[in-house]
Amino acid sequence: MNNDAVLDASTGWLILALFSVAWIWLGWWLGRRAKGLEGFMLAGRKVGLALGTATAMATWVTSNTTMAAPQLAFQMGMWGMVGYSLGSIGLMMFAPLAKRIRKLMPHGFTSGEFIRMRYGRTAWRVFLGISLFYAFGWLVSLGMAGGVLINALTGIDYHVGMSVILAVCVAYTLLGGLRAVIGTDFIQALLILSGIVIIAVLAISNVGVDRMHEAVLEERPQLLNLLFPAAIMFLFNNLLFGIGEIFHSNVWWSRAFAFREGVGFKAYMIAGLFWTPVPIVAGFVALTAPALNLNVPAADMVGPMVAAELLGVGGAVLVFIVVFSALASSLDSLLAATSDLVLTDIYKGHLKPHATEEQLARAARWVVLILGIATWALCWPRLTTLAELLYLTGAFVASTIWPVAAGLYWKHVNPNGATLAMLLGTAIGLTAYFVVGFYVAALVSAAVSMSLVLLTTWLAPREFEWAALNQEARQ
Amino acid sequence: MIISADALELLIVAATALAAVAPIILLILWVKDRKGGNLW
Repeated sequence: MNNDAVLDASTGWLILALFSVAWIWLGWWLGRRAKGLEGFMLAGRKVGLALGTATAMATWVTSNTTMAAPQLAFQMGMWGMVGYSLGSIGLMMFAPLAKRIRKLMPHGFTSGEFIRMRYGRTAWRVFLGISLFYAFGWLVSLGMAGGVLINALTGIDYHVGMSVILAVCVAYTLLGGLRAVIGTDFIQALLILSGIVIIAVLAISNVGVDRMHEAVLEERPQLLNLLFPAAIMFLFNNLLFGIGEIFHSNVWWSRAFAFREGVGFKAYMIAGLFWTPVPIVAGFVALTAPALNLNVPAADMVGPMVAAELLGVGGAVLVFIVVFSALASSLDSLLAATSDLVLTDIYKGHLKPHATEEQLARAARWVVLILGIATWALCWPRLTTLAELLYLTGAFVASTIWPVAAGLYWKHVNPNGATLAMLLGTAIGLTAYFVVGFYVAALVSAAVSMSLVLLTTWLAPREFEWAALNQEARQ
Repeated sequence: MIISADALELLIVAATALAAVAPIILLILWVKDRKGGNLW
């Protein structure tokens, strides 16, 4: 039990039960028309602009965005929330890539397939190692965040909360595949945006920006300092980390394949635009804490505490709904996209190269289930070191930015150079992480990777036929 | 270099306004896609 919880456990259980039933029913209802492997994995490749925009935005709003944005504003002030909002640049930069991916690989399934066809099997295996490590790091951090946040907000035991949120997401992803994930993401996007706007409007009208500014200036003036060094370093690292996460991850590639032709560019651009204000709107409420004379015991609870102070039980319920939606919208997307990667690149790519579509469709559901159980088992011991894995992945994912982007646009990229760029970028980025600090890992990794891609391609350019991506993907 | 109250207010109000408009635009797009048979 958690005696500092802002809601009582019975209210928490009621909300959990209502939303669990709603998501699972919706997953079944949406997925009942999903036919065959493409229907399950890629929603039939006909997702329109509204659902495409909402799923890109909601997936990128994680529990981190809604809970850590107030925490960052409370610890790093202005730049904490503005720096976080730069995460939207990754989404916007992926917009032209999504268009290009759909054009080059109209029958493609995963980001791993692209790397295999573009750079060969060695690069493919290195990329899979990076991508699966990142995916598991994110899955475990989300699963653990679910348990921790439900416990902090309602007092429900960590293991119970974590198990419930994982079970719900696995259940509706199993029932409806990507159609269920995208359909529920649309509703979750509306809930997240409406919830944070209500809390923000109440904070502005009840406290006022002048009073908030005055109180912060008196108690913690560094939070309003535009030259706060730690926060500025965080800003740049966060930007590159975000670009690396989006460029390589199958979460975003699978959507590029699933969107109707002509939708990808617009959907990612609008999603980026809509995502930009979320960390600021969710984050600035933390700055009202000094004006409200709140005694905040742990920085990560500042958001719910301010909401509860402004709105009473209703505010805490609203925060719970926003956090639950943010968690589910990311967990389901990650489960679906990682299972696509495991199915296509591990099961079919390595274990059963001649599997039929029917066998793959059956295996797809087993992979979702096994992935869910593996995540649950890793989350169970509540090892904080596991959640911190995600910070480490900055060095891994930033090394893929250049091999992915250059590989999509530049015919002459040297495949061995791309492989080396991912390996050395990761290794040197990790060294920087341990020797200097977390805030340089992604930056160093991306710089090493870029230098190697450019240098090896300049010394030994290779010719590549774009048509090969389309022909091979059909097989 | 401290941000002024006016600049902070501008940032917060602009961000909140954009976040408030977003769900409305999403719903309009949804209706448009549905009418055009382009939802799925």
